[in-house]
Amino acid sequence: MKKKFFRGFAVLATLALAAGLAVTPAQANTKIVVWADESRGPNLTKTLATKGDWVPGYTVTIKSFANFDALKDAIDKATATTGPDIVVGANDWVPTLAKNGKLAPLTLTASQRARFSASQFYDLSYKKKLYGIPVDVNNVAMIYNTKLVTSAPTSFGAMVDYYKANKTSKNLKAGLCVAGGGMSWGAHSVFSALGADAYYFNPNGTINKAKSFNPNEFGGNVKKFLMDGKKSNGFFPATDTGCKDNFLAGSVPFAIIGNWEWNDYKAKGFTMNLMPVPGTSGKSGNAFGSVSGALLTTFAASNGVEAAAKSLLVDFFGSTAGQVAYQLNEKRPPAEKGASTDATVTDGQKGFGASAAAASIPQVGAILNGPSGTSYWDSAPAYWTAVLVDGKDPVKEAKKLVAIWRANLKAATNDL
Amino acid sequence: MIIRGKVATTIKVVLLALISAVLLTLTQSAFAKKEYVIAAFLAASIFALNFTYFSKRTVPLKFFLPGILLLAAFVITPILYTVVMSTYNYKTGNYIGKEEAVERIKALALEPDENNSAFDIVVGQFQESDALLVSDIVNDLYFISTPERRIELNKNQVELDENLVAQGVTGFMRADAGEISASKAATKRYFYNSEYFITVENLNVGAVFRQSLEYLPQQDIFRSLISDAIYRDNGNGNYVNPDDKSDFLEPGWRDPAWFTNYVRLVNDERVRDPLILVFIWTVVFATLTVLTQFAFGLLLALALNKPIRGRRIYRSILILPYAMPSVMSILIWGGMFNTEFGAVNEILGSNIAWFQDPTFARVAVILVNLWLGFPYFYLVSSGSLQAIPSELLEAAAIDGANPRQVFSKVTLPLLLQILSPLLIASFAFNFNNFNLIYLLTGGGPREQLDGEIAGSTDILISYTYQIAFGSNLQDLGLASAISVLIFFLVASISLYGVRKSKVLESFS
Repeated sequence: MKKKFFRGFAVLATLALAAGLAVTPAQANTKIVVWADESRGPNLTKTLATKGDWVPGYTVTIKSFANFDALKDAIDKATATTGPDIVVGANDWVPTLAKNGKLAPLTLTASQRARFSASQFYDLSYKKKLYGIPVDVNNVAMIYNTKLVTSAPTSFGAMVDYYKANKTSKNLKAGLCVAGGGMSWGAHSVFSALGADAYYFNPNGTINKAKSFNPNEFGGNVKKFLMDGKKSNGFFPATDTGCKDNFLAGSVPFAIIGNWEWNDYKAKGFTMNLMPVPGTSGKSGNAFGSVSGALLTTFAASNGVEAAAKSLLVDFFGSTAGQVAYQLNEKRPPAEKGASTDATVTDGQKGFGASAAAASIPQVGAILNGPSGTSYWDSAPAYWTAVLVDGKDPVKEAKKLVAIWRANLKAATNDL
Repeated sequence: MIIRGKVATTIKVVLLALISAVLLTLTQSAFAKKEYVIAAFLAASIFALNFTYFSKRTVPLKFFLPGILLLAAFVITPILYTVVMSTYNYKTGNYIGKEEAVERIKALALEPDENNSAFDIVVGQFQESDALLVSDIVNDLYFISTPERRIELNKNQVELDENLVAQGVTGFMRADAGEISASKAATKRYFYNSEYFITVENLNVGAVFRQSLEYLPQQDIFRSLISDAIYRDNGNGNYVNPDDKSDFLEPGWRDPAWFTNYVRLVNDERVRDPLILVFIWTVVFATLTVLTQFAFGLLLALALNKPIRGRRIYRSILILPYAMPSVMSILIWGGMFNTEFGAVNEILGSNIAWFQDPTFARVAVILVNLWLGFPYFYLVSSGSLQAIPSELLEAAAIDGANPRQVFSKVTLPLLLQILSPLLIASFAFNFNNFNLIYLLTGGGPREQLDGEIAGSTDILISYTYQIAFGSNLQDLGLASAISVLIFFLVASISLYGVRKSKVLESFS
C-alpha cells in the first residue's frame, strides 16, 4: 500500500512538474529575432528601446553574443528551431552561409537600392542574389600624428623619407604600422599602395577575372621602400602588435586604424585627419571598404516572419532614420547615403567615410576566403613575415603570393 | 548519520521525481525540436533511473547507472557521431540535410521579370481569400491579386495616400500583423499573369517572379523551366547538370561518402603528405615530452628524497608551475620566446627567431611543455619512491650493488612498474595536447606562400582543427576521419603500452 502510494506520488509529481515546466502555446508569431555581437547587440537594443515600432504589429528581440566569433559559431550551428530571423554580421560570411543554406535572398525596389552604393551590395551578394542590407561601413584609414608630421604625406616615399630622417632623433619605433584590422584585412591598403590589390575591377564595376598584380613591380617597391638590403628597414613592421600603443605614445607617425576605435584616438587628443595610404605613384592604396550587413536568414521563413523580417531590414536597417538612430549609439560610419551625410554624424565617422570614398574596394568573400592555408587571409600576413622577418626575396615571394591570389580568383569565378 | 525508513524513501522519491521531471521536460523539448535520438536517450534514462532505484534486484546498477549514462552521453555518443560524420561529405556547401536542401533550392529558384518589377502592396483579405492590394505607380495601375486571379481596379475606386499608394478599396480587408502571421498570407504566391506571380517581399512591397526550377520527387531531379536542363543527384551531395558538371545547384547536402574521406587520407597528396609529417612530429613530440618530463621530475624527486635543509620550501616551489593555469603559463612563455623583446633572447644575448624557424619552434614547444609537466612527474615520482620498501634497497647494497646499480636494477624497474599507467596516460594526453600548440605557436611556422597547410609544430589534433575550422571553407568530414584515426592510434598505442608493461595484471 505504502509502496503504491510512493510510486503514485512519484508519477504524479513527475507529470505535474513536467507539465508546469513545459508550456508550448500555439499562436501566431509576431516576434522578429535579431542576433548581433557584443557591440552591435546592446546598441541595437538601446536604439529599439527608444523607438521599437519599425514593423507595426511586430516586436523585435535582440540577442547579443559575447564576441564576433561566438556569433559566427552560433549562426553556423543554428537550426530551424534555434536560429534567428536576422543576423548582423560580416560581409564575408555571405558566401559561406549562403552555400550552407542559412541565408535567404531579398529583393529591393529601385528606390531602396538607390540608398546604397553598388559596391556595398557586392559585399552582401552571392551568385547575383542579395542576402542583406548594408548597415555600417567597415574600413580602415591612415591617421598621422600632427605633433610629428605637420602636413599630410603626398606619397609612400615621403613617409619613408620622413621615417629615415627622424628615426633616431625622434626615437621612432616604426614609420607606418597597422593598428586596426590585422596584417591581412587592415594591411590591404599597404599592399595596394605598393602595387598589389587583391583583385581588380573593370570599368563597368565587375571584377576583372584576368588581371592580377605585377609581382616584379610590387616586389621591387617592397625592396625599395621597406627593405634595407636583405633586412627590413623598420618602416613597416610585419606585425600589428603594439602599433596602437606606440602611435598613441607618439613613437610612430603614421598608423592604419579601424573605424570602430576612432574614439580611442580622439580621446587622446588626435584630430581625425584620416586619409588613404598614399601610393608610390600618386594613386592611393585601396583599403577594403566593406560593410557589415543585416542578413536575412532562412529561419525567418520557418518562423513565419520572413516578410516582417524583410520589412525590418528595409524600414529600419536600410533607412536613413533607422541608421541615424542606430549609429548615434554604435558610432560607426553609416552605410546608407542619407544617414552618412546626416548632421548627427561625427567627424570621425565622416573621415572614415571620406577615406573609403577616396580609395577602397569591396571585400569579395568568394575570392578572399580560399581553402585553409591559401586564402587571402593566410597568405597576406605570410608575405610580410617571409620578407620583413625572414628576410626572403620580396620579388620571389611576391611571385608565390600572386600565384595563390590568381588561383583563388579563378576558383571563385563561378561564385561571382 | 544514516537515514533509513520512511524519511529515506521520501527523499528518494522526491529526488527521483525531480530528476524525472527535469528529464521529461528535456525529452519533450528535444522531441519538439525534432532531436529524436536525444529524446529517445532521455526517455530511456528516465525509465532506467526509475527502474533501477525502485527495484531491489538492481543493487549494483544503483552505483553504476549515473556513470554509465554520463559515459554514454558525453563519451560514447561523440565518438559514434564523429565516426558517422567521417563517412559523410560534411563540408561548406554540404552542411544541411537533403530534405532541407531541396526546400532551399526550391525557395531560391525564383527568377524576377526583366524589369525587376516590385510594387507597393497591402496584405489583406478579399472575398474570403488572402489577397494583395497592389499599386503599380509607374504604370498608374491598381489591382487586387489573390492566389488564383487578378482583379483590375479603377484608380478612382481606390483610397490613395499622398504617395499614390492604394490603402483600401471596397471589399478589401487589410490584415494586421497577427492575422498575416496566422494565415501565412505573406508566404503565398499571388497571381500576376500566366507566367509570373507576386510574392510578398516585405509587408509593404511585392515583387514579381516566376519559378525557374521544378522538382520532380519521383525521379528526384530538378528541371529548369527556362532552359529545360535537368539536375540529377550526383551521389555526392549535389544536384548537377550531367551535360555540364560545373553547373550545379546550391545548397548541397550531407551525403554518405562512406570511406571517401579515409581514402583521401591515403590518395590525396595534398592531405596525405602533410599528414605523414604531422604524424611523425606528433609521435616525436609526445615521446620527447613524456621522456623529458619524467626524467626531470624523477631527477628532482631523487634529489629531494634525501633529507636536505629547506626541502619543504623546495618542494613547494617545484609545484608552483603546476598550480598556475597552463593557459597563462603558455602565453607568458610565448612572450618570453619573442624574438625582439623576449626574455629568452635577452638572457642568451641571441637573436633567435624562435617561432619563425621550424627547429627552434619545436625546441620551444618541448621546453614549454617540460615546464608545464615536470611538477606532475616530480609529485608522482616522489610518492612512488617512498612506496618502494627500503629493505630492497638495503638488501641490494648489502649484496654489493653500488648506488648507480641500485637505481638502475631496483629503483627504476619498480618505479616504472608503478608509473607505467601514468606514462601511457601522459603520452595519450600529449598526443592530443591542442592547447599548448594552439596557444604557443598556432601550429606554425608554416610556409603558406609555398602552399603548406600544416605547420612545423602542428600535431594531429591541431592539424585537424586547421582543416575543420581554420578557414571559412570547412571540411568537417575529413576532419572527422582524421579524428577517428587519432582515436585508433592513441587507443592502440595505449593498449600496447598497457599490455607490454603488464600493469593491469596486478588487478586480475
